[in-house]
Amino acid sequence: MSDNEPSIRERLASRPTDEANSGGDSRVSDVSASDFQQTHTDPSAPQEHLTGLQFAEPLGPPRELTPAESKSAERKVSALFLLSVVGVVGFVLVYAFGEETYDQPNNWLYTPLLGVFMALALFGVGAGAVLWAKLLMPHEEAVQERHDLASSAEERAATATALKEGLAQANLGRRPMLLGSLALGGGALALLPVPFLFGLGRFQNKEIKLGTTGWREGVRLIRQNGTPVRLGDLDVGAVESVFPDVDHGTKLADSPALLIRMSPEELRLEGEAAEWTYEGHVVYSSVCTHLGCPVKLYEQQTHNLFCPCHQSTFDAAHGAKVIFGPAARPLPQLAISVDEDGYFVAQGDFSEPTGPSYWERG
Amino acid sequence: MNSTATVRKRRKQLSSYAVVLLALSLVGTLYTAFGAPEGQAQDAPANQSMAVKEGRELYLTGCSTCHGLNLEGGSGGPSLIGVGASSVVFQMESGRMPLAAGTQQAPRKPVKYEISEIDQIAAYIQANGGGPELPSADNADLADGDLQLGGALFRTNCASCHNFAGSGGALTYGKYAPELKSASARVIYAAMQSGPESMPRYGDNQLTPEEKRAITRYVRYLTQEADNPGGAGLGRYGPISEGLVAWVVGITALVGLTLWIGARA
Repeated sequence: MSDNEPSIRERLASRPTDEANSGGDSRVSDVSASDFQQTHTDPSAPQEHLTGLQFAEPLGPPRELTPAESKSAERKVSALFLLSVVGVVGFVLVYAFGEETYDQPNNWLYTPLLGVFMALALFGVGAGAVLWAKLLMPHEEAVQERHDLASSAEERAATATALKEGLAQANLGRRPMLLGSLALGGGALALLPVPFLFGLGRFQNKEIKLGTTGWREGVRLIRQNGTPVRLGDLDVGAVESVFPDVDHGTKLADSPALLIRMSPEELRLEGEAAEWTYEGHVVYSSVCTHLGCPVKLYEQQTHNLFCPCHQSTFDAAHGAKVIFGPAARPLPQLAISVDEDGYFVAQGDFSEPTGPSYWERG
Repeated sequence: MNSTATVRKRRKQLSSYAVVLLALSLVGTLYTAFGAPEGQAQDAPANQSMAVKEGRELYLTGCSTCHGLNLEGGSGGPSLIGVGASSVVFQMESGRMPLAAGTQQAPRKPVKYEISEIDQIAAYIQANGGGPELPSADNADLADGDLQLGGALFRTNCASCHNFAGSGGALTYGKYAPELKSASARVIYAAMQSGPESMPRYGDNQLTPEEKRAITRYVRYLTQEADNPGGAGLGRYGPISEGLVAWVVGITALVGLTLWIGARA
């Protein structure tokens, strides 16, 4: 601790303590005051501020346990630790032998028992430790001195001298090449993150990733189990979750779609979109344009497509336009046709980017 | 001594069963070989036409007011031409028909007809209107499928509306997908075939009979046999009810504990 400046503790001690003791819980202020009294070393500090205070012992005097009491406390703690062992053994036994009867209707106890034994194991160790500390450990109050945050004046001066000497010894004025190359290297390093910045702007979204999915011209529509969907597989009023027949097609998050079949006269699409269908079959992205939930709740009588997350409702007969809910755009439509083998194929990618709106969607 | 006597007794019983079984199968074989199969072959259509006749009576009494004397439909109800026997089984065995009131969606109600009567009406409508028909009238047969395959298909095709645990869920404008616990195997299978109300229709080209049996098996397993590993299913609505319980019970317990600790300090 520095000698020239008073420490925080000393400054605190020199403060009038009247308001600290004027009311409230006296024990709180007593703790700090008694701390001060034990560690205070400066004789010049005004002692008279502390007179008149009644110091209560914060934790009471440590009482020596009688041998009988100490023995009993020891037994309690050991019993709790043993309880923990029982819990662990019970857990292992239930886990090892309970599993066999898992399919039986009468083993509803399996999971609760696991939980009870695990709770016993954790409670035993925890309660034992608390009890041990409370009953058997010696009680003592300890104060740990905090050193000043700043280094001492000598240390600071020594560091400054060392730095200055180092700079002088480096002879920078006489080594221009070293300085130059260092500046060049530093500058090059500063350029390193620049390429990453390109990923943030509008450069990135043009024609890649967010704007496109796994669908391309001629890609077949497959089910989740990988089998392609054929014309005639679906009755009128049927739906099928379809994925692009490309590598990892069923795992592409932006590509899932719903193939819907209704009778051709029910399907009322306008303009170009009418040519994207095939004999009453129409395909929409099943990623909600609101927040990306799967839109697969299809009502075959009303042709409503319903998103379970926020109740956005799309009209599948009218180009999946939004008729209710927070979605702002219709579901993108996938143009389909049928190849020479009778399987459904895509005519290209979706009519617009799938999923929630984003900046630079264009 | 005693135990050997028991074993001997059991063996004797077993051998007598075996003899009876052998004798029965011999008789059966002889009957198929030399008996008169023509009589049986004539019996089935006779039974069938009998059922159609009985079904017609029941239809005219109970259904024709809305659906028309010739299944042509009317102001009260849709035409039944082409809906098939499976639609009859679904609507009547789940109690939805006869309809009590015109609501957004027909609710499940106590069943008004005997199963045999429903089958007769179904036979009548199948004979006159055509359409999808259950491959078997037997619940156990319809639920005889691959459980694992059924689970995969259920999660892909059914879970989005009926919930992953078959608890049902909301649709648009007051409509809903019903829970599946109260549905018999016949009703589940018939629903897939006929696509009642809002539900899409799954023809045999889309889900083969084998796959439909697998789904039926899985739904029955899920709603009747599978137990709740956590103790209480909480309606199996997932995080909604579980979260509610966690908040109400858990937070109350924590607050109580905190108050108790505070009071002791």
